Amino acid sequence: MIGLIKSTFGDKVQIQLGALGAAAITANNGLHRDVLKTMLAADEKTGITAITGLDLGAIIGVYYHIHTSNVFVTIKTEVTKENPKTQTIVDLHLGAAFHELEVADLLGVVFEGHPSPGHFVLSENWPEGIYPLRKDVKANEIKLVPTPASEEIQLPENKRLVKIIIGPQHPALLEPEKFAVTVDGETVTKVEPRIGYVHRGIEKAAESRGYMQDVYLMERICGICNSCHAYGFVGAVEKILKTQVPPRAEYLRVIALELNRLHSHLLTLGHACLEIGYETVFQYFWRDREPIMDLIELTSGNRVYSSLMTIGGVRRDLKDTDIPKIKTTLEELRAKLPFYRQIYENEPTLKLRMKNVGVLSKQDAINLSCVGPVARGSGYDVDVRKDEPYSAYAEMPFKEIVYTTGDTWARMNVRMDEVEESINIIEYAVDNLPKGPFRLELPRSVPAGEAIHRLEAPRGELFYYVRSNGTDMPDRVKVRTPTFANIPSFLKTAIGESIADVPANFVSLDPCFSCTDR
Amino acid sequence: MTDTKTWARVKSPWVLHFNSGACNGCDIEIVALLTPKYDVERFGVKLEPSPRHADVLLVTGCVTQQCAERLKAIYEQMPQPKFVVAIGACACSGGVFEGNYNVVGGVDKVIPVTAYIPGCPPRPEAILDGVVKLLNALNPPKPKKQPKQAKAPEVAKPEAAVAQAAQGIVEEEKQVAK
Repeated sequence: MIGLIKSTFGDKVQIQLGALGAAAITANNGLHRDVLKTMLAADEKTGITAITGLDLGAIIGVYYHIHTSNVFVTIKTEVTKENPKTQTIVDLHLGAAFHELEVADLLGVVFEGHPSPGHFVLSENWPEGIYPLRKDVKANEIKLVPTPASEEIQLPENKRLVKIIIGPQHPALLEPEKFAVTVDGETVTKVEPRIGYVHRGIEKAAESRGYMQDVYLMERICGICNSCHAYGFVGAVEKILKTQVPPRAEYLRVIALELNRLHSHLLTLGHACLEIGYETVFQYFWRDREPIMDLIELTSGNRVYSSLMTIGGVRRDLKDTDIPKIKTTLEELRAKLPFYRQIYENEPTLKLRMKNVGVLSKQDAINLSCVGPVARGSGYDVDVRKDEPYSAYAEMPFKEIVYTTGDTWARMNVRMDEVEESINIIEYAVDNLPKGPFRLELPRSVPAGEAIHRLEAPRGELFYYVRSNGTDMPDRVKVRTPTFANIPSFLKTAIGESIADVPANFVSLDPCFSCTDR
Repeated sequence: MTDTKTWARVKSPWVLHFNSGACNGCDIEIVALLTPKYDVERFGVKLEPSPRHADVLLVTGCVTQQCAERLKAIYEQMPQPKFVVAIGACACSGGVFEGNYNVVGGVDKVIPVTAYIPGCPPRPEAILDGVVKLLNALNPPKPKKQPKQAKAPEVAKPEAAVAQAAQGIVEEEKQVAK
């Protein structure tokens, strides 16, 4: 792929091998579209992982992080602050729509030709012309303007249609987000999301805290996949530092990440049942999730925020005396899995509410750059643990779970099978735990540089970009979370289905808005 | 009659949960409270989806700009008497997000709060303890041969227990560091 770009564009682009993925390709504003077009034509699995905006003084850098079936590259381009305009790439790849909206909101880059411009993460009464991620904006000086009286709700012109507003406070949502669903009778014709209710400005806050403080701040992006967030940040910083973590630490990290996945999947499998009104199974799943929470507490000292990851290793060793307890707990969980499988396979209620609901085709999953169980449920085999093994995953024996039907049922069953795979991984890691130190002492300040880190969180690929300017605080931290990449798939699959299927379909994404908004 | 009302309130508080910009940590712990291991329903506590039927509002999160208006609206929709419990460090004071550009910080900046349950996130036991203490404060044990108490005593915070636990963790860490 990189050879192809080199031969097509020659001297017009600068290629820096080994930076930000396999290579960083610097192209002028406008030419980046042609580079992307070439990549899309050459490989059908090409998609957008994230778009990072950076304040670089007089200019704003716009980095397009692109994945293909075998390499990961970054296309760098830039716009000036006086004229921050570039052309949209949504016409080339649909999955870029949300990423562009976010960069436009936080850095003020104008993407010309975007189909639905407007506020995306910031509130409607946000002052004009202030972009929080620009360096000259001080967090405490922002004054919100009062909300206009003619607030939002635009009724559909066609009187036949009815607009139903779900959220921000709604029994079906654990988190405050708003979805305006337009229905014709009972059939959904349009879904308009409004996210940003959980936007806490973590990316900006990270720029004013030290690296060690940021580990804990990043962990608090999400209370469910917290170890993954901490590891994403730590992994990127370790790449800038060019350190190799001791093998024992890598194994302990794998154990923490998989315990995280176990409790997250059990939580979702239960929550999905609650959404379709099957509360008994919800209670069963949550009962069996508690022993896993106890294991997290046993290995890290805390039930929810494990705070185990640190730059240079892990903060806590695993005692040999704890290993039998881990193994028996996992064995007990494994023994219960056939019961749950049988519920998901044979229970008529579940079949009626989940089979053929929210079908996402493989081609759509690729076009929208879906990740994680959503993509794998549609037969699109992406799993960073297999594609680009990080930590000690290259040594772990496990299967990549792929279902092909693409409906809600398939997405839930991907998670069901992954529970078993996670148990296998933890058992292997505990049995083959290398001896040696579990932490390195590293300097508190980080040399100038930039790095990306990708990992497979329970909900899909999690992407971190960290840029250091040589001080003890990072210059920019960008997080692309899996739910952010998966929401477009819901907007597509909900259309044409019954309004009653919206909750079951939606929860099958395992949505997490505290991740999405940051 | 007052006694009967208090009895009814204490025996079946319906709670409404509102996430005002939390990270899901506290929210999941609240849901965990309702499931078999902790089973808060044995105290008559029931999760209620509508603010108009709720007695107690459980708020988590650091209150983002977008949520502040909504939180106020929900509080105003609740019938009297109403109680607000701020769960987690963010809801108590803004936590790690204090000072960020989109964060108001602390539930008590928007609506009055009855009880604070600190922790990041507080353990289910701590939330349970806080709820039980709130209920006891509504129905204080009556002292004999004394006039009725005019005011409900201040709700004790389970801070002490949490602080003790935190101390334990710190000490453990020190040992590990050694």
